[in-house]
Amino acid sequence: MRREKVPACVHPETYKYYLEREDVMATWNRLAERYGQPRRHAGFRTMEIGAPRFILRSTLLGNPITVLRRRDCTPSDILELHALLGYSG
Amino acid sequence: MGQMEQRADRRSGGMMPQSAVSRGEQGMTHGSLESRLAMQYEPTTYRRRVAGHDVIVHCHHYNARLQRTIEGARGIDGRGILCAAAETVFSDQLRRTFGTDDDEPTRWALAELLYRHLGFGRVDLAQIAGGQISASSSHFVEGWIAGLGQSERNVCTFTEGFLQGVVHAVTGASVQVKETECMARGGKCCRFEVVHGGEPRAPVLVPTKGETLPIPREPGGPYLRSANVDEQAIIDAVVGMPMVGDEFGLIPAFSVYLANMPADFYNQICIAFVEAMRALGREKAAMRLLVSDAEHCGMNTFRGIMHSPEWDGLIAPMVQGRADALHAIIAISNALGWGDWHVTAHTPRTLALESRYGYEAVGYREHRGQANNPQCAMLTGVAAGVMELVYGEGTVEERFGTFASTEERCISCGDASCNFNVERVE
Repeated sequence: MRREKVPACVHPETYKYYLEREDVMATWNRLAERYGQPRRHAGFRTMEIGAPRFILRSTLLGNPITVLRRRDCTPSDILELHALLGYSG
Repeated sequence: MGQMEQRADRRSGGMMPQSAVSRGEQGMTHGSLESRLAMQYEPTTYRRRVAGHDVIVHCHHYNARLQRTIEGARGIDGRGILCAAAETVFSDQLRRTFGTDDDEPTRWALAELLYRHLGFGRVDLAQIAGGQISASSSHFVEGWIAGLGQSERNVCTFTEGFLQGVVHAVTGASVQVKETECMARGGKCCRFEVVHGGEPRAPVLVPTKGETLPIPREPGGPYLRSANVDEQAIIDAVVGMPMVGDEFGLIPAFSVYLANMPADFYNQICIAFVEAMRALGREKAAMRLLVSDAEHCGMNTFRGIMHSPEWDGLIAPMVQGRADALHAIIAISNALGWGDWHVTAHTPRTLALESRYGYEAVGYREHRGQANNPQCAMLTGVAAGVMELVYGEGTVEERFGTFASTEERCISCGDASCNFNVERVE
């Protein structure tokens, strides 16, 4: 998997994480188990999980996942998230 | 335990003091207070109305830049302009949420709720009787840090004014509120105190506006549309978004922080800024600065939007070419309440737009009467910014200034519409 930086966002370290197609369902299941069930927005065809330190948002297809960090997001929060996403840098 | 209190406890591990909202809920349910802030949408002008005030949805890029421009201008009291406008507007808006039987705790609760609901963050008024107020999150702090970096000074001038307006609405007193600690300077939270025993201050002004400008009855245009872009679907989706503050009182949508700002606030600060600069012989410089802020906004805000999942989910499938992106951007800006504006002519090097009920022109007429010169600095700058974004190349810095925009006609001058022409700079 890979990630791309997203410009002009709420946080300078905002990325889109591109999952392997076969991993999408399992990844969202892991994220939902850890951070709560995703909410869907029918109008924009998006879904998101609002975790305490970041927001995980994607289209209803689930891929890529944009991670919007809140200001108090720590490196350990991101390490944990990367483990769930399967992103190793 | 009320819903708000449960949320606060989850976030703070139970350490956060009981807020005025949860205290107010003891006699009034959260839902019943929130219902007083329900947004009403006017589809013919795209205006959004909350508690008797038209609100415009702008993002942290614009709000932070506008604040920096007004506060940073030499020779004028920019902080005073922002603070006075906020206290006047929010004293009035908050008062409009009050019911005749509301007790004081309920009124404080409504103040906290209004701040959060509009997307400005979270303020805690539990210690207001002792003159102490704290804020655990702030749109303006987030905007300043994200857009402009760490600050050497406190940045919550807007919140100072908001709180002065709150005290006035709830108690009738005209007070001065000062920020003593700010998250933009590394503080754990923002702290404010009600200054006692300072110099006597002028009473909070009551908003004074002339007659409301009627909504145009005649259709404008003809307007250019894109065959690929379903503008109404975009507008419906934006209007259908829950554009209210989350548990942090923030609105992270389209990958930016949005806030519902009363149009009167923008109009008051921009008019006062230009008038103060005029007194120094720098009126043209003032307008250029306001246009420039909006040009940056047009590029940065929509660059964020175009990289957002919301864009990917609904809009990207409609976009076949750059002109489609431009039409989609205009549709979004209309849904945010910016201008009821539409494309009348368009090439990759030029753009003409007509606005039928922009808040700047309408607001100027209501606040000052007929103007001698066009007043829509925000729409002028955004028109150039979106062309630079859609047709420019390179970084934001490299694109800036590559298109020039002028407002040829303006409702504030008595014209039937505001018309903007944008051309690529050779």
